[in-house]
Amino acid sequence: MDTTQLLKGVLDLAVLAVLKDEDGYGYDIMRRLRSAGLDEVGDASVYGTLRRLFQAGLLATYVVPSESGPHRKYYSLNAAGRDQLARSGKVWRSFAASMDRLLDEKGVAA
Amino acid sequence: MTERSEGATVTAPEIARYVARVQATLADLPATVREELLEDLPEHLAEVAAETEGSLIERLGPPEAYAMELRAAAGIPPASARNLDQRLGAVLQAGRDRLRVVDRRLGVVLGYERLSDYVRLLRPAWWVLRGYLVAMLITVFSTGESFGLLPRLGGSTLAALLLLAVTVPGSIWLGRRTDRLGRRPRWILHTSNVLLVIFGLIGLAAVGTRSSYPQFQEVYTDQYSGVRDVYVYDSEGRLLEGVRLFDQNGEPIRLGEPWCPEARQRLFPDGEDDYDPYLDDLTQQPYPYCPEGAPFRLRPTTPPAPGGTPAPPESPTPTLSSVPARPTVPSSPSVTPTT
Repeated sequence: MDTTQLLKGVLDLAVLAVLKDEDGYGYDIMRRLRSAGLDEVGDASVYGTLRRLFQAGLLATYVVPSESGPHRKYYSLNAAGRDQLARSGKVWRSFAASMDRLLDEKGVAA
Repeated sequence: MTERSEGATVTAPEIARYVARVQATLADLPATVREELLEDLPEHLAEVAAETEGSLIERLGPPEAYAMELRAAAGIPPASARNLDQRLGAVLQAGRDRLRVVDRRLGVVLGYERLSDYVRLLRPAWWVLRGYLVAMLITVFSTGESFGLLPRLGGSTLAALLLLAVTVPGSIWLGRRTDRLGRRPRWILHTSNVLLVIFGLIGLAAVGTRSSYPQFQEVYTDQYSGVRDVYVYDSEGRLLEGVRLFDQNGEPIRLGEPWCPEARQRLFPDGEDDYDPYLDDLTQQPYPYCPEGAPFRLRPTTPPAPGGTPAPPESPTPTLSSVPARPTVPSSPSVTPTT
């Protein structure tokens, strides 16, 4: 199954999740997603998702000046973002559990 | 992740170029949306460049593909005219935005929310007109008939009605299904509509010049419309009475009308009131109707010279006389003052 299709549906949730404990800048967030196993996530997708979540009022931003490299724009979860993460997380867990049960019943190998 | 190689650092101009191409790909978006979307892109690409090696295109793929992915992730539907020249797309979008404003303003004038709401109401009328124009087009190009009121196929009115009975319902049928057509057929349809309108305008212009030509000829003024009576004088200056005028075909020349009470009395001795000056017997009356109204009169100092003039065989009297003379008139000597 094409993981990019699956990713589209859950990228919001994944981005919110990797920002839960630690703020991050664009490339940093993508690196976290990839190290979490979401290898196929594209840079533009992450950037576009960040812009959309920011405009939806779920993220806050601040700029951190850097001496060596470029300035970095950090994203952090605000209250609405945490709320959204909690709700979307529940929906996903319930959905994933249903899928797991279904596949277990049918004896599909993990 | 591989080590960064020497000389592979991405420069600011490269980032600017990449951003510009992404921008161009999203040219169809409203400027505000595009700016919000791309606000942080230079910084973001600088981060990417700082963290990875190779050119931006090697790292991220072509800017156009990046733009499409970005667009999808940001939840903006893909451009409807993606293959169109992007600059043209931007111009079209700007024009469309302006049209929308005009649409709303003119709509208020007409009492609708938008002008297009009103125009949409006129669509069925356009379908009928289109069917008519198609029939006219078929007629003009298949039989060489001129553009007229009816598409008389081969000069036949019945054929015109039959043709209209096909094209008009056909056009309405097509009109009701236009929204369900695919992009390409709809494009073809719209193009044909424009051509048909141009054909119609040219045809109407031709009809206009044709019908205005005879009107020009019909403008006709009768310089004798003010004539009430005719007075004929002989070479001696004597007023002739009982004169009849004829044209070269022997048709009597009728001018004026019995305008004085004496003439009416003569016409209607019984004193008929409801006389009609256009009655036939009126045209039998000789000129002048009213000798009293003669513009010139002989002075009594010039006595009449009977026989002096050979032309009039009768002897007209220059004295005032209300009794109509009975001269010998070549074609109809018998004057019958019938009522």
